[in-house]
Amino acid sequence: MRSYLLSRLVQTALVVFLSLTAVFFLVRLGGDPVLLFLPMDIQAKDVNEFRQRLGFNDPLAFQYGRFVTAAARGDFGESLRYKRDALRLVLERLPATFTLAAAALLLTFCLAIPIGVISATQRGSMLDYLGMGGAVLGQAIPGFWLGLMLIYLFSVRLGWLPTGGTGGAAHYLMPSVVLAAFYAARMARLTRSAVLETLNEDYVLTARAKGLTEVAVVAKHTLKNSAIPIVTLAGLETGQLLGGAVITETIFAWPGVGRLTVQALLNRDFPVVLAAVFVISVTYTLINFLVDLLYGWLDPRTRREVGA
Amino acid sequence: MRFLKPLVLLVVLLGLVPAAAAQERARAKEVIVGFAAEPRSLLPNTIVDWTTNNQVEHMYDRFVDRDPKDYKPAPMLATGWKIVNDTTWEFSLRQGVRFHNGEPFNAASVKATMDYIKDPASKTHYLPRWALVKEVQIVNDSTVRFVTEKPWPGLIDRMAATDFLPMPPKALKEQGVQALAAKPIGTGPFKFVQWVRDERLVLEKNPDYWQGPPDLNRVTFRFIPEFSARLAALLAGEIDIMKDVPPHAVELVDRSGKARVRATVSSRINYLALVNLKPGPMQDLRLRKAVHHAVNVDELIQQVLKRRASKMCGPLSPLNVDYSPKGECVKYDPARALALFKEAGVDPARLTLTLDTPSGRYPLDKDVSLAIAAQLQRLGIKVNVVVNEWGTHLDKIKNRTTGDMFFLGWGPALDAQGTIEQLFQTAPTYSSYGGNKPLEAKIAQAVTIVDPKRRLEAWAEIQQMVRDEVPWVFLWQQHDLYGVAHWIEWKPRADEKVWMFEAKVVPR
Repeated sequence: MRSYLLSRLVQTALVVFLSLTAVFFLVRLGGDPVLLFLPMDIQAKDVNEFRQRLGFNDPLAFQYGRFVTAAARGDFGESLRYKRDALRLVLERLPATFTLAAAALLLTFCLAIPIGVISATQRGSMLDYLGMGGAVLGQAIPGFWLGLMLIYLFSVRLGWLPTGGTGGAAHYLMPSVVLAAFYAARMARLTRSAVLETLNEDYVLTARAKGLTEVAVVAKHTLKNSAIPIVTLAGLETGQLLGGAVITETIFAWPGVGRLTVQALLNRDFPVVLAAVFVISVTYTLINFLVDLLYGWLDPRTRREVGA
Repeated sequence: MRFLKPLVLLVVLLGLVPAAAAQERARAKEVIVGFAAEPRSLLPNTIVDWTTNNQVEHMYDRFVDRDPKDYKPAPMLATGWKIVNDTTWEFSLRQGVRFHNGEPFNAASVKATMDYIKDPASKTHYLPRWALVKEVQIVNDSTVRFVTEKPWPGLIDRMAATDFLPMPPKALKEQGVQALAAKPIGTGPFKFVQWVRDERLVLEKNPDYWQGPPDLNRVTFRFIPEFSARLAALLAGEIDIMKDVPPHAVELVDRSGKARVRATVSSRINYLALVNLKPGPMQDLRLRKAVHHAVNVDELIQQVLKRRASKMCGPLSPLNVDYSPKGECVKYDPARALALFKEAGVDPARLTLTLDTPSGRYPLDKDVSLAIAAQLQRLGIKVNVVVNEWGTHLDKIKNRTTGDMFFLGWGPALDAQGTIEQLFQTAPTYSSYGGNKPLEAKIAQAVTIVDPKRRLEAWAEIQQMVRDEVPWVFLWQQHDLYGVAHWIEWKPRADEKVWMFEAKVVPR
């Protein structure tokens, strides 16, 4: 187990390092960040002085070396826009992103699993068509459109919910519905097909032959055995949600990581972009690791493979 | 509708109804202003940014203001000024003014502020803007002198362009810059209460304000990046003031029963640069004139901007203190355009031009650019419109790699030096026109003339020279459209300041 953990740790470090390297060079393809931070009456010599001071005049390899050395110490530099520590800016936004992700995931599971299971067990019925029709719709509706429509209906017309920002439970409702609409749709469809597949297995036939009720058959024998693909997708979705739901956070003025990252990209605030990539990639690989551990619990055979 | 009742009940039970409805805010005199972004810093004199300054100036007073009627420099913390000699300006300071921490405002404060700007360690954007100031001398507690490297008559305009917000010297020295960034201490009408990152900045009334306390007890800036969501927040009564209502949504706001649109002619100008700083057809004056004659500016204002713009006929708007009303507009005249093309030996049907435009930076910028392309197409000119992300647009202008034309806005444009010196010479970063030695010589001379009358004459002559050269298709001054809740009395300003000291709650 220890060697497994160690190898996972090395893998994580490698993924984070490669993501940071790729992003470091990619953001620089977009152009010079300096102009976006300076007033428009700035003169060429002052632009150059700023660039010099920020180190953008140095050769790219040199800039990269400096970045890697500092980043290894957890120093991603100062945000060009806000003149504050970039990593701190990102970490400050994490709680908002985490709580929204948790709310959205909860809603996703509560919607997707029952819909998927019912669609599978009642295959071909009206409920199946309704469930899957709803899922396709959920996946097809663009998040920004759904978000704006919800705001229009529930905030402007009815005045029931706040248009955005954080606060009480009310503030979570619309953004998590928008997120869940998309993620639940994917998960419901996957749950349906996974459960359908398992229902054809011999042990399900045996369970039914034993005279178990249908509920017991599905809950005890089918669902756990269908769980691997569902958990894999859930892991991916969690990773994506924790990386910040860019559009949703922007529309609902949610002070999360996604909104910060996109603003930083548009403003070419390189230190913030890289700090965000660091946090997001660490979170993503961590979730992946947890999902792998869950596999072992769900299917002991995978544990033996790891052990071997 | 049976399901509605339990749903409403659920909503109420969960406490989901938006807190502090508009009526309550009106009663408590609390206003919420919706901005697209939070301040980049709460330190004054540090970052040149409209949104940042608009918020900072509620806590810090301007040293010199602009008169909201004629936009000439007006007293604020400085009560008066005079030119002592070619390189020395003397300012008398308002007495009895105190910072929010009780520190008195005096000459030491003015000096400490300039020292902060001039210190390279402060990394402020304002350093180059004050490069000409050698030092600030304290004459006595209520008098200071600004000594400049060379004659600088434009100093007072620079001062009035929100470029100098006095800071408390004792707090600056004892607590340091970071403490001041975390908890601003100014002399302004509102005091800092709280800044929740990416969410809101809360300020409260300064009851001891030297101009008398503001009518509002509390001002909150809420940050809503998406404009549709900002509009929705206004219509839902969650925010009370927003800037940049799109022209097509004016009716929606006016009919909402919650807010109405207040418009003002802005000092910000929009233009189509005809770039002569790179090789191409726009090097030829006849072709620049031809393109200008081929563009129907009135039609653009009517059709695209729904009359929400004021046409300009030269490089400066009437709001500019150095504006000269002489000179004629370049008329829309396709026949004249064709004649000019013929004279230059260019067949418009074989001419392909490229037009660079940002999208969403200025009112309907992309739509205007596309409409201009369509107008030029009427003469057979093929125009490729390139839509740039804002950073790329700036890069291209600076590196002189735009197409033959580009769309840009400039402002607040309230004095000639800040506009003409920046935009019609070869060297400046965002210029599109240059290589005109007589013009550059005139500009270099005009910025040093101290006598106001002679200075105005010099700028008038320069404006005519610029008009004759047709470096732009002169377009218009933007109209700024604000959505303002019914219960607030507030008149927007041409210099784009959203200053809540000037807002009042309408008595019911």
